[in-house]
Amino acid sequence: MAETHVANTQLSVRDLTVRFPTTRGTVQAVNGVTFDLAKGASLGIVGESGSGKSVTAKTLMNLLPRTAEVSGDVIFEGEDVRQLAEQGREHFWGVKMTMVFQDPMTSLNPVKKCGEQIAETLRYHLKRDKKSALAEAEDLLEQVGIPEPGKRVDQYPHELSGGLRQRVVIAMALACEPSLLIADEPTTAVDVTVQKHLLDLLDTLRRDRGMSMILITHDLGVARGRCDEIAVMYAGRLVERAAPDTLFGDSRHPYTDALLRSIPRIDQPSHTRLEPIPGRPPELINPPEQCAYAPRCRFARPDCLESIPQISGVAGMHEFACFHPANTDRGREALADNLAQGRTAAGLDVTDLGGPS
Amino acid sequence: MAGSGHAPLREDVDVLLTVRDLEVEFPIGKGAVVHAVSAISFDVAEGETLGIVGESGCGKSTVAKSIIRLNDIKGGTVDYQGHDLATLEGEELRRLRPDLQMIFQDPISSLNPRRKIRQVISEGLAVWGDERGSWSQSRIEELMLSVGIDPKFGDRRAHQFSGGQCQRIGIARALALDPKVLICDEPVSALDVSVQAQVLNLLEDMKKRYGLTLLFISHDLSVVKNVSDRIIVMYLGKACEIGNANELYENPRHPYTRALLAAIPEPASTVDVSEGDISGELPSPINPPVGCRFNTRCSHATEVCFTDEPVMQRVGESDHYFACHHPVAVSINA
Repeated sequence: MAETHVANTQLSVRDLTVRFPTTRGTVQAVNGVTFDLAKGASLGIVGESGSGKSVTAKTLMNLLPRTAEVSGDVIFEGEDVRQLAEQGREHFWGVKMTMVFQDPMTSLNPVKKCGEQIAETLRYHLKRDKKSALAEAEDLLEQVGIPEPGKRVDQYPHELSGGLRQRVVIAMALACEPSLLIADEPTTAVDVTVQKHLLDLLDTLRRDRGMSMILITHDLGVARGRCDEIAVMYAGRLVERAAPDTLFGDSRHPYTDALLRSIPRIDQPSHTRLEPIPGRPPELINPPEQCAYAPRCRFARPDCLESIPQISGVAGMHEFACFHPANTDRGREALADNLAQGRTAAGLDVTDLGGPS
Repeated sequence: MAGSGHAPLREDVDVLLTVRDLEVEFPIGKGAVVHAVSAISFDVAEGETLGIVGESGCGKSTVAKSIIRLNDIKGGTVDYQGHDLATLEGEELRRLRPDLQMIFQDPISSLNPRRKIRQVISEGLAVWGDERGSWSQSRIEELMLSVGIDPKFGDRRAHQFSGGQCQRIGIARALALDPKVLICDEPVSALDVSVQAQVLNLLEDMKKRYGLTLLFISHDLSVVKNVSDRIIVMYLGKACEIGNANELYENPRHPYTRALLAAIPEPASTVDVSEGDISGELPSPINPPVGCRFNTRCSHATEVCFTDEPVMQRVGESDHYFACHHPVAVSINA
C-alpha cells in the first residue's frame, strides 16, 4: 500500500475494505482503498458502475447497511470516524462531512417545503429556533444561486426543476458549514447546461469556504475540469491516481488508457472509429487472485494472472497498480510480446489495429 | 428558435424519409396542451445517419416516436417512399412498420423478461413469416452472431445478460425484419463508458452491412457527432440548427448550439466557455415563448426575437442551416 503524506491532511483513508455477504457469495465491493485528501482540495473518484466508488463514499458517510463488513481506517481531522463515540457521531455526519446524491428528487422529502427541509438540519444539529432557521434557509438558497429564495422556501420539491432541486440539496448539505462535501454523481440526472451551472457553483462554494470535496463521477471529463486529483477505480480497487493533466496526458494503467481512447471526443471528425475495451467489468463475487483488468487488457502477461498488482509510485504525484504500465518500456515490451503471439496471457486476441502504445 | 421553413429539405440527394412541418401536441386536460414538437422539417437521405441532439424536454424522442407512430401526429407529413406515415392507417401502416425499427435507451426493460432471447429476436419473423426473410434457426443464429452474442445463449433470458449484451440483443431484434430505417433513442446512455464504444461500433458495422439509414437520438454531443453524417439541434419542440456533422460543430451559428458545445465538461474549441452560461430555466412547453422560443435565455435576443419567429436559412452554399435573427459570426478559420 502506498503511503502518502500530504501536509494539511484532512481526510486519510487507509486500506478500506468493504464486503457484502450474499446468498451467492461475498461481494468484494471495495478492496484496500487508500488515499489522502488535503484541506480545501478536491479529489475526483471515477469508475464505472460496480467499481466501488459509491460504496467508498457511503462508507465514509457511514451509510452502509448493517450487513456490510468494513475494515480499514477513516481518519478525519485526526480522528478515526469509525470509532466515534455515540455522542460524537450524532453531529458529525451532516455537519462536518456531508453528501449530495445523484437524484435530487429522491433525496428530498416530497411532502415538506424546501425551506423547512433545510431548516430541519439547522434546528437538529445547530439548535436554531424555528424562525432563525427558516431565515438562514432562505439565505442558503440565495447562496446556491436560486432566484427568488423567499418564494422557494415555501415551495415543495415537485414545484422546482431538476437543477433547482439539486441546488436545494446542495444548500442543505452546506447548512452546517461542512469541511468536507462528498458529491456522488451530482450532475448525472441533469442536462449539460444545468450541469455546468451546478459544477461552477460547487467550485465557487469550495473556494469561498475552503471546503474539501470528493466528486464521484463516471464522467472523466467532469472530473478533469473540476478536481485537483483524480483516482480511477476498477473492480473495487484504486488503480491509478494522478493530477488531471498527468492522468489524461500520460496515463499508466491500461484501463485508464483504454478508457480515454474508447470515449468519442468532440474534436474528432464524425465516423472516427472508436477503440472499444473488449469484454465487460468482472464479477465481484469470489474474484480470482489476479489483476481484475487482466482479462480485458492488451498488456496482460503471465505475471498479471499470478498476483494482484498493488498501487505504488510517487506518493501524491502519480500512483498506479500495474505490472506492465502503458506508455512505459515495460508496457511496450508486454504489448509487443502479446502482439507477436496474437493473444495476451489471459487469452484475449490482440492485433495492432490502433492499439495503445 | 424556429425551425419553421423548408430550407433544410434537400432536392439533390436520394431522400428516404421527409418530415415536413411535423406538429405533435399532448392534451393535458382543461384545454391545455403540451407543444412537444412544433413545425419541424427535415429529411434523411438513404444510408445516412441523422443525429438529433438537445436537452431533455426538447422533443427529440417525440420526433422519433412520431415517425413510427408511437404517438399521434397533430399536423404535418412524414413521407416515406411515397407513403405519408402521418396519415396512414390499418393494414397499409402495418405493412410498412417492419421497415422502421427502433432500439431504446434502457436495454434490459425493453426486452420481455419472461421470454428466451431466441424468442425475443424471432418474434417479428414469426409474425411476418416469409415476407420479411424466413423464420429459421440458422437465421436467428446468424443475427445473434452478427451482433456478437453467442447463439448457445439463445435459451437464456434478459436478466442473465449485462446491459451491453441486452442492447446487442435489442439490435438483433430490430434487424430481424430487414428494416430500412433504424431509430436509436439514446442507445448508449444507460451503458458503462467502457461498453459504449462496443455498441457504437456495432451500430456502424450493422449500418454498413445491412444498408441501414439511422436516426440517432442522444443528449451526448460527442457521441452524436461520432455516429452522425448530419445533425439537427432541437430546443423546446423546434429545430434551431441543421447541418453536416463536422461543419455544424466547427462553425456553430445558433446561440443555443454554441451554448451546448460550451457547457459540456470538455468544451469544443470553436466556442468560448462563457457561452455555456445560459441563464434561466427551460420555459414551459404548455405556453412556449412567442417569437423565437430561445428568447428567454438568449443573450443576443432583441425586440424582433420576441415578435417574429426566425426562419431556417442556409449558410452560403454549404449543408448548414440555422434559424436565428442574430446568428453568431463565422469564426475566422471557417
